[in-house]
Amino acid sequence: MKNNKQLRSWVFNGVLIGICFVVFFPILSTLLLSIKEPEDVRRNPPILLPCDTESRAIDLRHCRFSLDGYSRVLLLRPNPNSFFGQSVTGRLFTQYLPNTLFYATFAALITTLLAGLAAYGLSRFRFQGRRLLLTSLLALSGVPLLTMLLALYQMNVRMRQLIPGYEERLFMVVVYVGFELPFAIWVVKGFFDTIPVELEEAAKIDGASPLSALVRIVAPLAAPGLVSIFLLTYVNVWNEFIANYLLLGRSELRGAMYGIYEYISQSLSAYNALAAACILVILPVIVIFLFTRQAFFRSMLEGAIKG
Amino acid sequence: MDWIRKRLGLSAPGWLPFWVIFPALLVIAAIQLYPTLYTIILSLQQIEPGTGQFVFVGSRNFERLFGSIAFTRSLVHTAIFLLGYVAITLGASFAIALLLRQRLRLTPLYITLIFVPWIISDVVAGAVWRLFVVPDYGLFSPFFANPALFGEPNGISILTSVPPNQLSPRVPLPPAPALLFLIVASTWKILPFTTLLILGALQTVSPEVQESAKIDGASNWQLLLRIILPLIKPMLAVTLFYLLLGGINGVGMVFSLTGGGPGTSTEVISYLLYSIGFSKLDFGLAGALSVFIAVLNFGLIALTLKLSAAYEEQ
Repeated sequence: MKNNKQLRSWVFNGVLIGICFVVFFPILSTLLLSIKEPEDVRRNPPILLPCDTESRAIDLRHCRFSLDGYSRVLLLRPNPNSFFGQSVTGRLFTQYLPNTLFYATFAALITTLLAGLAAYGLSRFRFQGRRLLLTSLLALSGVPLLTMLLALYQMNVRMRQLIPGYEERLFMVVVYVGFELPFAIWVVKGFFDTIPVELEEAAKIDGASPLSALVRIVAPLAAPGLVSIFLLTYVNVWNEFIANYLLLGRSELRGAMYGIYEYISQSLSAYNALAAACILVILPVIVIFLFTRQAFFRSMLEGAIKG
Repeated sequence: MDWIRKRLGLSAPGWLPFWVIFPALLVIAAIQLYPTLYTIILSLQQIEPGTGQFVFVGSRNFERLFGSIAFTRSLVHTAIFLLGYVAITLGASFAIALLLRQRLRLTPLYITLIFVPWIISDVVAGAVWRLFVVPDYGLFSPFFANPALFGEPNGISILTSVPPNQLSPRVPLPPAPALLFLIVASTWKILPFTTLLILGALQTVSPEVQESAKIDGASNWQLLLRIILPLIKPMLAVTLFYLLLGGINGVGMVFSLTGGGPGTSTEVISYLLYSIGFSKLDFGLAGALSVFIAVLNFGLIALTLKLSAAYEEQ
């Protein structure tokens, strides 16, 4: 009986390791492709590991790796003024990634702030139309951006014509905030609901106003929830492509996902450069995820259980 | 007593709830409600060729849309895509969730690893899978170029081969290999999320229920089909609707994996919206298609809300 159980656990472990490998294989092969030499990239038939010799299919002592793909993405140029004597001129680093950083940071900050305030109001006060409002927010949190792009595009064009000094980057941030808010409010409200009201009441008897109770008592207790919605929004905006591509007229305002798409649409044959760009663009979110995965699972499941 | 109530700010909140909720609602209204209304109005208008002004044309955009070959074709593509996407994803995530439920020592590690594709953007995921099948140099390209497996190749890669002998332009069957490949890539991307949802539901099934069913002599299959499946049905329904919504509206991967091609063989309705509205700039027609997709979305969302309300009442 014990042997049987052990065998079962071996089988399950084996199958799960197999699944993990299959799931990870696309990422792994992209990573390998990104460090192949140009000659190995253009091999026909293609090979996974650039480790073959004339006599053997795989000889780990003869693996050929190169940073050619990464250097094509970075496009280092000599620059006497720079600290390293070189400066990065690849557009992914000079334009697209900084833009993405801007959009993701500000959209996540503003979303967390506005969602925190609104969720506080919805969690702590009873007023007419509250249920209707909650249901509408839940419905809106399922609405994808796609069908609104046409109108948002026209809106952007109109405002660009009417408002002098109009900043399209801010419009993009507002679009992301408005789109992420309904879901964020639901998740944060879920977190607020678990914090007992008695704590605030005690503070209010001591003379604190509702807002200072929110800032000093509720927010610190809900900090894990607020952090998790910040991270989720950050990653969502980091990964967003279609609105970024279609709403912004000029490519120098667009983000990293457009950078990847640009590589593909130019149909260059330097596939190691495309692979390197992919790795560089997903690396930050994977690192964030690996260090904060509990936060991700928390807000994801919170949202899913409600919806 | 009244001043204490006022201080508490609970029973007489005054304007505070309004002011904390208002900013969020304002942004949501500007970004979600106003565009929805605007799109409806847009769908009833058309640009007059001479003046460049929008004029009211009634339902003509919708008639043009529903009569067009491109629309019917994209509906068929979307239906094939959804069918494969939903069936494979639900089946595979249920199976993996059952495996992950066996609390092995390494289960947290497996969950973390399996979850990584979800964190990757759809554009990058599309690029990664595209690299598998780029003509000649993609890792899978020899497989897809094999005439013994896929008939006489009429292209050098599934990214370029056009499906032979389709029924008609309106009914593009059998589907192109590129569309099936799009299903596989999309499934890979969403699988972690749905697996975790189903795993969460499985963990709410109490061990006592399962034990007592076993004592009553239920086999593993009976336990699965008669006890576990009915108990997690609400979550399966939520997952199903989530997949349908994402499948109808997801477009990033089509952009980076196939660009709607080869020909029009992966042009799903979300991609058709892009090509009508943003590359052919036919705003009226694109407005009509937006309204059509929005109606689908709202139908799905309303159905989900209704179902979850029904389950809460039980």
